Amino acid sequence: MIPYERTRQQTIPNSAVKIIGVGGAGANMLDRIALDGMEGAELLACNTDVRTLTSSVAPEKIQLGRNLTRGLGSGGDPSLGNQAAEEAELEIRDALRDRKIIFICVGLGGGTGSGAAPLIAQLARDEGAFTVVFATTPFNFEGARRREQAENALAELSTLANALITFDNTRMGELVLAKQGVHEAFSAADRMVSESIRAVTRIVMRPGLVNIGLDDLMAALSSPKSRCLFGSGIAHGENRAQQALKNALVSPLLDRGSLLNDTDTVLVHVCGGEDMTLYELELLMRGLSKHVPETAQILFGTSVDPAMAESLSVTLVSSLPEDRLRADFSKSVSTKKAETFNDNDTGESESSEEALPEDEGSLAETTDPVSNEEIPADNDSSAESGQDSSLVKQEVEQEEDEIIVEASEDEAQFEVVEEESQPGAESNIRIKVKELPQSQEQDQESLKIVPDEEPAPISNEDLASAFVEAVPSLEETGQSLDLEGEDAFFAETGPTGGPAPIKVESLEEIQASAQAKRPQGELALDGGPKGKFEGEDPNLIEGEDLDIPPFLRKKK
Amino acid sequence: MGKPRIHVGLEIGTTKTVMVVAEVKPDGSVKILGLGETSSAGVRKGEIVDYPQIRACVKAALLKAEDLSDVDISSVFLSVTGPHIEGLNNRGTYRLPEGEPEIRPRHVEEVKEIASDIAIPSEHVYLHSLIRHYAVDGQPHATMPTGLMGRKLDAEFHIVHGVRTRVQNSIKCAREIPLDVDDVVFAPIASAQVVLERKWKEAGALVLDIGGGTTDYVLYVDGAILASGCIPVGGDHVTNDIHLVTHLPLSKAEQVKKTEGCASGDPEKSDGIVTVPDEGGFPDVELKRQILNDVIRMRFQETLELVKERLPQDGLVRVGKGVFLTGGSSQMAGLGELAQDVFGLPVYKPESPDVSGVHAYIKDPQYSTALGLIRYAQILEEERPNSTAFSRASGFFRSLWPFGG
Repeated sequence: MIPYERTRQQTIPNSAVKIIGVGGAGANMLDRIALDGMEGAELLACNTDVRTLTSSVAPEKIQLGRNLTRGLGSGGDPSLGNQAAEEAELEIRDALRDRKIIFICVGLGGGTGSGAAPLIAQLARDEGAFTVVFATTPFNFEGARRREQAENALAELSTLANALITFDNTRMGELVLAKQGVHEAFSAADRMVSESIRAVTRIVMRPGLVNIGLDDLMAALSSPKSRCLFGSGIAHGENRAQQALKNALVSPLLDRGSLLNDTDTVLVHVCGGEDMTLYELELLMRGLSKHVPETAQILFGTSVDPAMAESLSVTLVSSLPEDRLRADFSKSVSTKKAETFNDNDTGESESSEEALPEDEGSLAETTDPVSNEEIPADNDSSAESGQDSSLVKQEVEQEEDEIIVEASEDEAQFEVVEEESQPGAESNIRIKVKELPQSQEQDQESLKIVPDEEPAPISNEDLASAFVEAVPSLEETGQSLDLEGEDAFFAETGPTGGPAPIKVESLEEIQASAQAKRPQGELALDGGPKGKFEGEDPNLIEGEDLDIPPFLRKKK
Repeated sequence: MGKPRIHVGLEIGTTKTVMVVAEVKPDGSVKILGLGETSSAGVRKGEIVDYPQIRACVKAALLKAEDLSDVDISSVFLSVTGPHIEGLNNRGTYRLPEGEPEIRPRHVEEVKEIASDIAIPSEHVYLHSLIRHYAVDGQPHATMPTGLMGRKLDAEFHIVHGVRTRVQNSIKCAREIPLDVDDVVFAPIASAQVVLERKWKEAGALVLDIGGGTTDYVLYVDGAILASGCIPVGGDHVTNDIHLVTHLPLSKAEQVKKTEGCASGDPEKSDGIVTVPDEGGFPDVELKRQILNDVIRMRFQETLELVKERLPQDGLVRVGKGVFLTGGSSQMAGLGELAQDVFGLPVYKPESPDVSGVHAYIKDPQYSTALGLIRYAQILEEERPNSTAFSRASGFFRSLWPFGG
């Protein structure tokens, strides 16, 4: 066979994706994202309060209401926040111009967040970007007024944004143990947001054996007035398929899997090392099918990433109409105790997701069931490309009708779709690497493996992050940005060289995901005879198995 | 408390299940009416692992106790233990509102609430929250501070909590007999009530309840509990160790442990050879006493040191009285000497407490937990003349018992 160097896929240039943190809470989330190393995206912080703005690590900053609030906060008044944002409208517009995907992170309830976010979302849509809003709602103890402000803002955002994913801070508290410090609680919440953004980005930007694109994502999130369900898990060793799924299901946003029972569409992305087998996938999907209704459409994607080594990650994205969610939620509360399966889950998987509490957290209101664009353009950079080069890349072409080569065309198409808000799948934009010599293309074709459905390049990062022991640095991010830098949205990149550097994420993220998703390894005890206690759980105290006679232990 | 009351204590232990029926007279004296005992099956390291088996054991103990005492038993005080149970201390502070310089009962309630409001893992349940002492404006007061003038009220609590489901297993076992459960008591706290006199609690004492499957401890300092806990090692482990090292069958190992073993480390007692007779006519097994005693001593030494490590740093320094050994395994020869070596404190084995009735039981440290439950019930009743133990307990159970009451 002719050796085939896998082509670098069309990428979404990093300049096409922008993450905006609005208000104080938004800035915190942004910092978390920056520290975790978000490559391929620009970060922008917007705030009225100059003090917090200057302390943000985001490279780009916009001060809202320079004349109105004079560098102070908005004092919890959304109308003030809104006016402040209006004052900076031009600046914001400039910052958003020509961006294809815009994530807005905001903590609702306060003045700047609740007031400015809707306006920024509006501007983002005006600029033709696909807009996803990640919002946190206030803690219960913050009072009715803030909650009301948050709800008003949510209602506005739900009509403005393409997708709205909300996290309930009150539930976020359940992410951490009661004993842990308050900063832990907040950083857990920020981490959750950061992880979700990452997952969405991966889905859109990374390639897979069986690819998943924006269209699939939109399909998964498409029910109007819905809440986003998101879970991601990683595992290794024996049984990793089931374990990874289990870990994904314990996500607080999934209510330990029980919320999936009612969904219509579930997007599943599996990423594993080179030794991932078809059998494992089958096992995993079979496991998942117990949690989703038979009638549900399963959007399946998979990718192989050598950086995963022996691990396997699963990411689930779905949505549930709010009304059903409510019903479900109350049900789940009342029967929480009885959900033995779930309980077991948490118990077993030790710290998975910090053993959380159920539910929701997020509500995604996909307002416009909009634009299904497939943005198959995947960033081949970094970790992925290792995988890419080693593996045959499938250009998943499923339902695409058109092959569009020109970046500009793509863009046009993209915009059209956006505006028309067509949920249809017809507008999938597929990009073929036309420049490839025919023979290569054929090769590629022939090498193609599975792809029946689309692939979601989701959790590669997670995976990578869990296993790559490296410290994150902005520098690193910068580097990868460079690698990816491209101007056109769907720029085409020809075949590229070897694997890009393995992605590096923040230590914290590594720890967190390792903690969260990897079941703690059991030490193989050199052990000894245990007599009548044989077969019981090791009776460990301070590293010694108390069931083994001290006489034997200490003589050794 | 006009008329005598009958209390029943139930201990579901690793080696045996004991039910004690006692009468508490109006003058406060306790009379044991009867005691039902069966050897346990289905309990490992203090926790129930085989439900049907242990239920049969409890049933049998109940029948025996009812038979002996001629009392129709409907409710019991239940002791629980297991390595999942732990004790910790917490301090609550309450600043009196402006214009109210005098401490009133509701202020005390408030501070109690604050002190017992401690973050325990969500799957855990409170077993006890025991007041250690109050302080008014930083000055310690052992008793009720109501009526005193002050600005700031502190309360220190010792809180014992354990895994809800595991505690429920024991309760469920009793409820299905069916028996009502008046209260659930952490085993060493019960034992301490019978082992320690009030003045010893004041002086400071460590109670070690070494049972078949667990070693439970509770440390009293200044009349209040400073630390409590459980280590999942007991007499069964010693037997098992002997079995593993010498390859004697378990039944023989148990017998050798009781009759020949010694934990003192005294070289004189480790001289020579133990001969284990064989009933089947095969040659007797010979065993070096040195090895036997080393196995036993190392096990107990390790266990005692584990307890010592878990005590708060200044805990042992503040013990004025000494270490009290109780529980079935405390009958091990030489254990007193070993405990003295480990803790460097005077060691006491339990004496007959202040109860009358079937005396033979009372001298036996095996029954200290079950008897302690009676004392516990008595103390509870003395402390709460109005709100009876029952109403308190039923409130407790409503929160704990999932199937309604």
